[in-house]
Amino acid sequence: MESVLLIIAIVSVSLGTFFSGVGVLGYFRFPDVYTRLHTTGKIGVFGVVFLLVAAAVKGDAAWGYALVLIFFLLASGPATAHAMASAAHRIGLKRKHVLRDDLADFERKSSNNGSAPPEAERLSALHDRNRA
Amino acid sequence: MEILKQIFTIVLYASLLIHVLLMGVTAFRLWNGENIIDRLMASDILSNLTMAILVLGTMIHHQNIFLDIALGLAALGFITIIAFAKYITDKRMF
Repeated sequence: MESVLLIIAIVSVSLGTFFSGVGVLGYFRFPDVYTRLHTTGKIGVFGVVFLLVAAAVKGDAAWGYALVLIFFLLASGPATAHAMASAAHRIGLKRKHVLRDDLADFERKSSNNGSAPPEAERLSALHDRNRA
Repeated sequence: MEILKQIFTIVLYASLLIHVLLMGVTAFRLWNGENIIDRLMASDILSNLTMAILVLGTMIHHQNIFLDIALGLAALGFITIIAFAKYITDKRMF
């Protein structure tokens, strides 16, 4: 039984290290900010979580702390990635090798056409006032 | 059983070495990134890799205090990234 847990821990540590290495490699090799954000999320969600699985399985560590940390990382990783992607789009960073940008089209249409819904108008005015 | 424990120790130290190397490479990218989101991403990667090193320290030294520090570091990194993203977007913090 204990040898099975040790084998699970060895495989988990190897997988976590693999995901961290692949995440940093993609961070250096990918062309623009949004694809780099995709591979940055892999470090927080897979790399650290597999190491925590190994720490929880191994036996003499406190597995409750590891479980709490796993749930916190699974909740906070997508939130940070979304915040960074939203900031990158708001300050106008362009994507490379891409054919269409639906969010930019929607924002242009709702600001120029004059037929935008009132809720969007109100939010846009609030945002302009906050930026000034 | 003993051979498995030795393999586990070797894997732990190799993983620690790899994580330290990745932290050095990422710190270089934090120094000369392309734009501000790139550098913010580098600080996020550094926070996560520091957390991974703390978890490895838990397994190497058989001490649970590293997991407490990792929990605090996770909360601090989350708040830092959210606050900096809002500051970059709105040009002010609050």
